[in-house]
Amino acid sequence: MKPIDLNIIGAKGAIAEEAEGKWGMAIDEDLCTGCQACVAACAMENNISFVGEEDAAYGRTMHWIRIERFWEGEYPDVRTTSFQPMLCQQCGHAPCEPVCPVFATVHSQADELNLQVYNRCVGTRYCGNNCPYQVRAFNWRDYERPEPLNNQLNPDVTVRQRGVMEKCTFCIQRIHQAEDTAKSEGRELQDGEFDPACAQACPADAIVFGRVDDPDSKVSQLSRQKRGVKHLEDLATLPRITYLKES
Amino acid sequence: MKKKISRRDFLKLAGASAATGAALTGCGPSSRFVVREPYTQMPEYALIGESTFYATTCRECAAGCGLIVRTFQGRAIKVEGNKNNPVNLGKTCARGQATLQGLYNPDRVTDPLNQGRRKTLGTDGMNWDDAIKVVSDALANTDPAGIGFLLGMAPDHLFDLVSDLTAGIGAPAPVRYGALSAFEARATLVKAAENVLGQSGLPFFDLANAELTFSFGANFLETWLSPVAYTRGFSKMRKQGKRGYLVQFEPRMSQTGAKADEWIPVRPGTEGMVALALGKLIAESKKQTVPRAFVNVDVKAVAKESDVDEEKLHYLADLFADADRALAIPGGAALGQSNGLGTAEAVLALDALANNFGQPGGVFLSPAAPTEDNVHRPASLQEMAVFINKMNTGEIKTLLIHGVNPVFELPKSLGFEAALKNVPLVISFSTFPDETAILSDYIFPDHHGLESWGYQRVATGTSQSTLSGAQPVVSPFYNTQSTADVLLAASAIAGGKLASVLPFKDEVEYIQAQLIPLIENKDANFNAGEINSFSAYFQQFGGWWTNEAALLAPTQNTLNETLSVESPTYEGEGDFFLVPFVSPVLGEAGANKPSLQEVPDPTTTVMWNSWVEINPETAHEFGIKSGDIIKIVSNVGVIETSAYLYPAIRPDTIAIPFGQGHKAYGRYAAGRGVNPFDLLGLKFNAAGDIAFAGMKVQIIKTGKKFELARMESEIGVYGEGLGEE
Amino acid sequence: MVKKIFSWLISPLGWISLLILALIVFSGIIWGINLTQITPEQPIEFPHDRHISFGIQCLYCHQGASRGPVAGLPTQTKCWGCHQQLGITKTSVLLKPLVQAIEKNEPIQWIPVATVPDFVKFNHRPHIAASLNCEACHGDLSKLTIYENPQILNMGWCLDCHVEKAGDDYEKLVKLTDCGTCHY
Repeated sequence: MKPIDLNIIGAKGAIAEEAEGKWGMAIDEDLCTGCQACVAACAMENNISFVGEEDAAYGRTMHWIRIERFWEGEYPDVRTTSFQPMLCQQCGHAPCEPVCPVFATVHSQADELNLQVYNRCVGTRYCGNNCPYQVRAFNWRDYERPEPLNNQLNPDVTVRQRGVMEKCTFCIQRIHQAEDTAKSEGRELQDGEFDPACAQACPADAIVFGRVDDPDSKVSQLSRQKRGVKHLEDLATLPRITYLKES
Repeated sequence: MKKKISRRDFLKLAGASAATGAALTGCGPSSRFVVREPYTQMPEYALIGESTFYATTCRECAAGCGLIVRTFQGRAIKVEGNKNNPVNLGKTCARGQATLQGLYNPDRVTDPLNQGRRKTLGTDGMNWDDAIKVVSDALANTDPAGIGFLLGMAPDHLFDLVSDLTAGIGAPAPVRYGALSAFEARATLVKAAENVLGQSGLPFFDLANAELTFSFGANFLETWLSPVAYTRGFSKMRKQGKRGYLVQFEPRMSQTGAKADEWIPVRPGTEGMVALALGKLIAESKKQTVPRAFVNVDVKAVAKESDVDEEKLHYLADLFADADRALAIPGGAALGQSNGLGTAEAVLALDALANNFGQPGGVFLSPAAPTEDNVHRPASLQEMAVFINKMNTGEIKTLLIHGVNPVFELPKSLGFEAALKNVPLVISFSTFPDETAILSDYIFPDHHGLESWGYQRVATGTSQSTLSGAQPVVSPFYNTQSTADVLLAASAIAGGKLASVLPFKDEVEYIQAQLIPLIENKDANFNAGEINSFSAYFQQFGGWWTNEAALLAPTQNTLNETLSVESPTYEGEGDFFLVPFVSPVLGEAGANKPSLQEVPDPTTTVMWNSWVEINPETAHEFGIKSGDIIKIVSNVGVIETSAYLYPAIRPDTIAIPFGQGHKAYGRYAAGRGVNPFDLLGLKFNAAGDIAFAGMKVQIIKTGKKFELARMESEIGVYGEGLGEE
Repeated sequence: MVKKIFSWLISPLGWISLLILALIVFSGIIWGINLTQITPEQPIEFPHDRHISFGIQCLYCHQGASRGPVAGLPTQTKCWGCHQQLGITKTSVLLKPLVQAIEKNEPIQWIPVATVPDFVKFNHRPHIAASLNCEACHGDLSKLTIYENPQILNMGWCLDCHVEKAGDDYEKLVKLTDCGTCHY
């Protein structure tokens, strides 16, 4: 890593990484059954609010991951496209970053993730508008979580308030915890030692998480497969998630 | 809300909950003056600031998946799968993930109640001593023949306890029921296994090793039998050397159908005939003599009746004949027909033809359960009809209900709600204020599944003989008591025969007594010399299971007997076939969990409501647009719900999900959507399952409109869809 | 009307009242900020100095610090382990809450003082592993009875130390000044 003047980072808001990144995912669309276990697991792990029917109809659900599918053809030769879990791609060159006027969405140089710093966010929603993957969720209200539902809140994840943008963090709390445990035991973090909530729940093992800068990791091996594609790669966003197409 | 120090010495961190919503943007109330209460006596195994993990069993459905629950300072924070449990190997489904919203649901029954069949949840609290007295009197003073126990689908310790109790005092055995068993047509599957495979029981389909799978209506990726286990199998099937190929035969493309490589939209009820025709063609394609099972089939007639053209049938037969490891699975709506049993037998005959019994990628019988290994299956709807009749004739004097919500989970036409009025005493042990609990005389709430002890036999889903174990992960949040404890205490007070039948101090002692026979079997995931260590390991591992696969190979081959599937008969007058299906996200009891309500349906992406799926062309013909409220009329009922234009459904078929339409069951469930059970008539198949997919209904436009909350947009990025008809 | 108000405002009486109003608002703000920094009243006036003078280590009571994120508070049974042997426990007025808590088996309601907002994820373990002593952040408690923060625990104070500790190691600096290290 070559030294960079920190002030320039601040001024530019984001730095395009030449490297392949650090953390990444491989999602096998041939295996994904669209069962939504990842969606529920993410909501439970990351204290994601539920918004109710009316706001959900306005498209204000707070999910950090969603399963996309489209219809193709007409009856009887109709089929769905493969179920496609869509979440923050943790772009190396993220369109959301340079538009934030308060540097609330910034690039982490250490973890090579896109961060959303809730205490900086003032809710301009520029980042959400600029995200080509449409994976950011905005807290339009202080969504009610009646007692005693709040007992379930994960103490490792901030509870967000109205007016704050949020999105998938690759379960950064789990990354930090695993790194901290490995460090305290004086060893390197092993591949597959921990998983984000979505990958851990996935009954079909369609989501694989790990270090993309380690060529031997499971996620790197999967990503090198011929059927691997990155979404909207032509926008030069350098997404960190490789989708394995249905074969 | 003061609480005593519990058995596990958990203590709430009182103020911390108030702080959770606090101080985010720096303007919120400061979290400085939050009160922090340390443990009075810290459990030995707890470490300050660190999570404690408990292994238990998921109670959201009867599959018996193992869970590891993360708890922090006495609160359950997150549910993960138990990597050791052979059913789910560390994985969970969406319903399992949301189980914490049941535990911490704001609408639980908090105290024992003298409900008195009020219209809403009563407030007339009781203390537990009085409650136990009520149960005790009910058991002691009712003629044993007049005691009826109605339990949930899971073959668990409570079922064993109640079975022992009823057998001891000469009362009728408990009846188990769940809506899922009706939608799975379990009785039909078990009966077909008996007829075709030579042994009664749930077949196990080795999807993981199959090269080609024909699924006739089995929605195994959603709710069928053991969805997590079958999803794992599906994943392995796709990952094996030669990618497995899946063909789904069903009138409405389910989520499983959406994952299939080919979807064959057969006319509802003709799946079995298609299977027979395929059998004949496969034998011909393999240049074998056609076995007697298939000789009587007229392929042309089947093609006409099933709406699958002959060419397609030939193509599918060649596909099946050429595959090395071919598998056929019967299930779901295909069996919920007047000819369902014949269909199941015909499909299993395809397996016999593929010669896959007991082979990798073939059909097995699920392993015998570790304890009480007789086949128990939930009651079919015909058996439920008999039970309801007994209620109406006054034969049942005291009805005790646990783990099932029959007012919601039975077709309205069976008249359970009315029959309740003819039972002098109804006691509900429901954790939640569901429809049945509200119509009971008393509600003596059980703990939530995550607060209670137990075990559950795994009926199917794994090759190992498995007993999944459950233990409390948090101390009871409300003033609830375990139903097993209530029954034991009540029997003890009643004295006499009742007390001698169940000489156990409490639930845990009963469970340990049931585990003792397992100590002998050393070829298991753990070994222990005596019961105390054994039950400690049992809790730690989250259950007991054999190391070796204990699948049974079917003993019989019925290819030499003639099979025939008669044409389906439909009930009701109407132009449309009705296919009700279980919501893959909500299941039968997920509607009270808000985060689950907001998880989009996999195929339609609808949230928080019910819908009716109509083919867009049909809709166009009737002038129905997306979101129009449609009245669906059957010969027994009427419901109204919004239309969803579903491209992957036969034009002569409509489909409605089951899971919504609650009148009670808490703020997130009540008054939301409709229940397709309101439309079903009472036609049963030969195995006693209801022909739920054999209804014909009428649809009528109401002129009203309600836009469904859905994740997908009808308007494309570039405005396509705007202003379209 | 507007003109009337304006003319009153430029009169001496007007601008003096304006000045007073501004002063009130300003002092209100100062008072408010001050309020957040006042050390709260605790259920027991716990004398840290006296316990330390007996040679009791910080980690004896706050044992989570070396292992995980939270240092933690001792259970009252831990207090009681020593205090039941001391005569003063029975007689002292200050120790009455402890005796009561033990008798009723109810937790003591402490009010944490060295806290960070909810959006900050602080972890003790790496700080101790980096050979920082407790007093580096919490001050010299051998001179304090009830705990008070020796400085305002704000982000500038955290970052100053992080930058200093990183020194010339660029990689360490990146990690220690990354937003995601503390905020998620």
